[in-house]
Amino acid sequence: MARNRFPALRTSRFRVSCAAKLETVNKVCEIVRKQLALPPETDLTPESKFSSLGADSLDTVEIVMGLEEEFGISVEEESSQNITTVQEAADLIEKLVQKKEA
Amino acid sequence: MNPLLRSAMIPMNTLCFQRNFAACSRALVPVQLPSRSETHLWYVVPDEVKSASLLGQYSKILSPCEKEYISCVRGERLKKTALLARVLVRTTIARYQTNGQVDPSSLKFRKNIHGKPELEWDENDHGSPPPIHFNISHTASLIACGVTVNSPIGIDLEEKDRKIKNNIVSFARRYFTAHEVEMLSSIPDPETQRQHFIKLWTLKEAYVKALGKGFSALPFSTFTIRSRNSSRNCQSRDLSDSSSSDAEIVVESVDGSSSLMNSWQFTLLELAGTHFAAICVESDGSIGGRVFTPRKVTARKTIPFVEDEFHPGTDAVVLGGL
Repeated sequence: MARNRFPALRTSRFRVSCAAKLETVNKVCEIVRKQLALPPETDLTPESKFSSLGADSLDTVEIVMGLEEEFGISVEEESSQNITTVQEAADLIEKLVQKKEA
Repeated sequence: MNPLLRSAMIPMNTLCFQRNFAACSRALVPVQLPSRSETHLWYVVPDEVKSASLLGQYSKILSPCEKEYISCVRGERLKKTALLARVLVRTTIARYQTNGQVDPSSLKFRKNIHGKPELEWDENDHGSPPPIHFNISHTASLIACGVTVNSPIGIDLEEKDRKIKNNIVSFARRYFTAHEVEMLSSIPDPETQRQHFIKLWTLKEAYVKALGKGFSALPFSTFTIRSRNSSRNCQSRDLSDSSSSDAEIVVESVDGSSSLMNSWQFTLLELAGTHFAAICVESDGSIGGRVFTPRKVTARKTIPFVEDEFHPGTDAVVLGGL
């Protein structure tokens, strides 16, 4: 019964949150590639650690700033220590975007 | 020609290097500890370390944990930098031989809660711990290790020509203090502004590293770093004015409680002609009172076990003021 009451809202919400995750990860990868000037053949996965890709602290902060501008969010400096991989960045972005839209 | 005969004709140091690396491990030139008012800075230029067999020998002095970390690093160049950074720390500390000859591979390290590496010392095995404090920084093209006695130290390096992807003033507005934004905005020439930004970044990084905290534990918007002779209201001034060569670099808290911060001494240098390097050291206040005495920095270039070079006045040039 609940399913029939708001069918469009439920299905569309489910669809959006799935697609957004992959899209978010891809956007993060794009920003990381640009900041670190990675050669195209460099393998970049959600588990890729920024430090293993050669990012120093200034690179990480620049990446976070790029993400803030891209997604219209604000990342507390305290959280930046938790952004060590592409996946962690994408997860935090999702959380902040949802909070913003709530 | 018989290889033994040929090797007998090669100068002694090369023979040592080629034939028996174990013998060379005693070739780490021992050094006296820095005095309480001095900082030692050791650096390696990775591009000058080419020998595959030397790099192989370097790997042998690492701990299993360090070897595993390096195996996770992507790409040969980054792996080499990670290796050289750890070798630099181990061999540098071993040089100070405060408890007799120290095998660099026997040193143990741990990290504080914010991830700053520290020496872990077993008093039962080795007697009282050396009063050494150290900190390391590296870029793709330079690795440096700063050493002090009895004073926490933080260092940071950046390549002089490092480009910033974001707009500098926007970046400063987001992460720095209002005073620093004003200072940067007042610089008309983009190249001078970029260099000033890099210097400021290295100083701020060196400070949070000296505190053992890092960027996330101590946001850069909570403290200002400036030259003591620059006014708080920050009028535009000529940054190429070399009469500020003895201008002290100071840190103050944004909330105005600057009295706690007089114990931090900063040195800004140009290193190896290619990098800006910032060093931050806690001074115990007993040196020089409140008269500004620049801290002495002794920089030495090294390829551990192979050679050390000391070119005073050229490889490390102290930049006065900010």
